[in-house]
Amino acid sequence: MNEFFRSYGEHLDDWMPRLMDAARVTAELSAYGFALAFLLGCVLTVMVRSQWSALRYAAGAFVQSVRTVPLLALLLALYFGLPPLGITLSGFWAGTLGLGLHGAAYVAEILRGGLGSIHKGQREAALAVGLSPLQAFAHVTLPQAMRLMMPPLLNAYVALLKDSSLCALIATNELMLTARAISSESFLPLHIFLLVGLFYFAIAFPLSMVSRLLERRMARGRRTMGAT
Amino acid sequence: MTTSADSFLGILAVLASGAVTALHVGAGAFGMALVLGFLLAVTVTFVKSRAIGLAVAAYIEWMRNVPALAHLFLLYFGLASLGLRFSPKTAAIIGLGMVGAAVLCDVFAAGLKAIHAGQREAALSVGLTPIQAMRFVLMPQMLRLTLPSLGNYASQLIKDTSIASAIAAPEVMFYARNLVTSTFQTTLIYVAAMVLYALMLLPISWFFARLEARLESTR
Repeated sequence: MNEFFRSYGEHLDDWMPRLMDAARVTAELSAYGFALAFLLGCVLTVMVRSQWSALRYAAGAFVQSVRTVPLLALLLALYFGLPPLGITLSGFWAGTLGLGLHGAAYVAEILRGGLGSIHKGQREAALAVGLSPLQAFAHVTLPQAMRLMMPPLLNAYVALLKDSSLCALIATNELMLTARAISSESFLPLHIFLLVGLFYFAIAFPLSMVSRLLERRMARGRRTMGAT
Repeated sequence: MTTSADSFLGILAVLASGAVTALHVGAGAFGMALVLGFLLAVTVTFVKSRAIGLAVAAYIEWMRNVPALAHLFLLYFGLASLGLRFSPKTAAIIGLGMVGAAVLCDVFAAGLKAIHAGQREAALSVGLTPIQAMRFVLMPQMLRLTLPSLGNYASQLIKDTSIASAIAAPEVMFYARNLVTSTFQTTLIYVAAMVLYALMLLPISWFFARLEARLESTR
């Protein structure tokens, strides 16, 4: 056991700077990916709630088809499948696009569920007291829905962060690929993959905890409402 | 594998042999997740020891907040350095099964919590042993409650088997990447792979929908 930790002592000076650089790439990848997922998710939600059935149908088809395709297949298709068609993306941008498209389907479901759970009387009351539809949405529906949507959105970000590890397979120098490289030169795979697991854990665990805390607080609010 | 892989059907035929592996890995991991997840859920629900509760929580948090790919690399490359060698397929089954156990533990624990405590008390008071009460009273109700989540998990799992290609398990994406480097029919191959996943997912969601409908009707 002591020997196990001594190996860390010997190599950590060499590994940490490289892993920190890689962690930055992972952070950027997941941040851009989630931003894209959120943006597309909003567009999809607007489409789903639109009056035109064609838009609703298209959004539904997109969500369904994204949910049947494994993320890895999507990433490989974007990275290797687009160049023959004349579009070449770097691993990073193919990864961002893939994570964004994949995440959008999940974000859209969360937004749809969150907005759908607000009683329509809220909006009607807001319109009745003279708010414009946009004001009613921004000041009445959205703030209430936001409370409900925060925990699942945080979970969606954590899922996307973990999924960003698949970008190692399309030559993006993020945490996982860097760990692979280090492991093949140091022959200490157990050490390096445990360490890289800790890197993900250090980002994902606090966010998961916040999400669960928010969820519990909301459940508490619901119960008192039911009691009165 | 020297088939005439330039046609769509030829490609599908090659990838289908990967689908068999994917289904093996999926079934193995699902079974492991089911059993281990159930045992963990029973432990956190009925064992009142704080130390055990913390240990299970630590396991679940580690599994849920670290990418599956890291778990597979740990099992396949990491344990090999200790002399414990798994085949890629076995490593994938264990890795995905261990991650799934954490997911299903939460699902089952929520299911157990949703059952009224009186159910178990009544079962015990009419003379059933705790195990009988679990088997004949709690488990049937819990399974019915958790079936939709189990269905979602199974579909997600089939898609997640694609990750096993990273440790060279010969599943769909593994063959797809091999075919791409030998035939350059890139677009066609990835479309075929996606079609194949859809074909694997359809019967699963159909099966769970049927099961749910049947259990609903016996209620």
